[in-house]
Amino acid sequence: MLSVAAIGCDTGSEESVEIGYVNWACATASSYLAANIIETELGIEANLNDLDAAPMWQSVATGDVDFIVCAWLPGTHAEYFGELEDEVVDLGPNYHDARIGLVVPTYVDIDSIEELNDHVDQFEGRIVGIDPGAGIMSATDTALDEYGLDFELVASGDAAMTAELRTAIQNEEWIVVTGWTPHWKFADFDLKFLEDPKGVYGGAETINTITRMDFASDNPAVQSFLDNYYLSAEQLGDLIGMMEEYDDNNEAAQAWMEANRDVVDGWLE
Amino acid sequence: MTANIFAASFFSDAYEWVTTLRLPVGEWVNVFVDFLMDTFGNQFAAIRTGISWMVDLLEAIIGFVPYWGVAIIIALIAWRIAGRGVAIFSLLGVLFIANIQLWDYAVITLAQIITATVIALVIGVPTGILAAKFKTVNSIVRPILDFMQTMPAFVYLIPAVFFFRIGSVPAVFATIIFAMPPAIRLTSLGIRQVPVELIEAGEAYGSNWHQLLFKIQLPQAMPTIMAGVNQCIMLALSMVVIASMIGAGGLGSVVRDGISSLDVGKGFEGGIAVVVIAIILDRLTQGSGKN
Repeated sequence: MLSVAAIGCDTGSEESVEIGYVNWACATASSYLAANIIETELGIEANLNDLDAAPMWQSVATGDVDFIVCAWLPGTHAEYFGELEDEVVDLGPNYHDARIGLVVPTYVDIDSIEELNDHVDQFEGRIVGIDPGAGIMSATDTALDEYGLDFELVASGDAAMTAELRTAIQNEEWIVVTGWTPHWKFADFDLKFLEDPKGVYGGAETINTITRMDFASDNPAVQSFLDNYYLSAEQLGDLIGMMEEYDDNNEAAQAWMEANRDVVDGWLE
Repeated sequence: MTANIFAASFFSDAYEWVTTLRLPVGEWVNVFVDFLMDTFGNQFAAIRTGISWMVDLLEAIIGFVPYWGVAIIIALIAWRIAGRGVAIFSLLGVLFIANIQLWDYAVITLAQIITATVIALVIGVPTGILAAKFKTVNSIVRPILDFMQTMPAFVYLIPAVFFFRIGSVPAVFATIIFAMPPAIRLTSLGIRQVPVELIEAGEAYGSNWHQLLFKIQLPQAMPTIMAGVNQCIMLALSMVVIASMIGAGGLGSVVRDGISSLDVGKGFEGGIAVVVIAIILDRLTQGSGKN
């Protein structure tokens, strides 16, 4: 291990890359796929680092991590990007049509955020949120103001939010959560976004690839793959499905690569 | 020779068995959690109502008094049981938390910590007494305590959400599990350390078990029991950030908010408020232990 690293230093080209990711279904799937392509197709060791969003961004800026493929822009990760813009390189989207907003089960019989106030009691007066400080949480704070919502935003976390969603759906209760897509909850439950006529949650977002400074010159092969790396909604959906199906994320990524040989080859051109 | 072959094949079979027949431990747990939810749904709802009532009541009481009122009350209590230094520190500490605009969050955290500690003690101290008195209880309780203390708290956060939904109740529940073991251990230890001569003297004067317990064993064990109470409170405070992941709010969410928006200063402010509360409660319980 040590000797490989030392040789890497001597020749000036790096033999391994460090990837940062957040433990969300979509980020995990996309990061594992990228890592497997880099290892099997480019023959470069790729190490995955499971981090929280804030340390993940920070470590790209400091160069401890070489790149991330799960930067939500321009809205959700605006705060991180704003702070670190000059210390990272944005390679642009690897996914379009990501979306954040308020999400309810389909049996909840309203369609717009504006109707929430008419049903405060049915929702027990609360919106179930995720981590305090997450982009979707500050957007929801704005929504509370803009729509004059008589609701309390309860901070929890992704897992707690989906657990709460599950229980509410089992009991057929009304519940409204801060949600985003791509996320497996849309595959497991019948959910819908509430309309957002004031556009508080912004339009569609993109998921971008962000690298550390100088990554392009240090590792041109990986850089050129990352530049081409792009998943359609259907492809990412398939990949997330496979990640759930297989016990091992690497096996799932390999299986996806086999099934989508031409797509992978296209990225490597 | 054949014995060797037999042994070799036995061990390779056993090895095969160990690695291939995976025990579905995770599935058992899932089935067990589902079973609990289906069977005791009403009981969990009742517990949820009870705990939530207690937290809300405490929050209303502490929140009703203005922060300077709470500062004075705590300082007076501290003066009485822990001395002037602690009184001054408590006064300044509460004013400091109010000054950095975190008093409202501190009220929520205090209400949850107090609820969790009280429940942990109500269950823990009697259990400790039983464990000191009966060897069987002790040998059943000890491994359970080891389990409660070392199982990473994250593991029971999500079942807690299944049973009690998100909010202060699962947070209190998770805190109780994490904070109760030292209360039980130290109560049990304190009682077992009471000198045999004292017990024998009590028995010689014809005391029954009830009198022995309340007149001799508990008073003698009190300093150790208070150390358990103290540990219980400190562990409860150490759970605030983790508990904010299941909707507990309070100072824990201030810390997470700061950290997850790269605002180290804000996270630190939340953290220092927790430290101030910890020091006040620590000195208060230590002081009352000495009296």
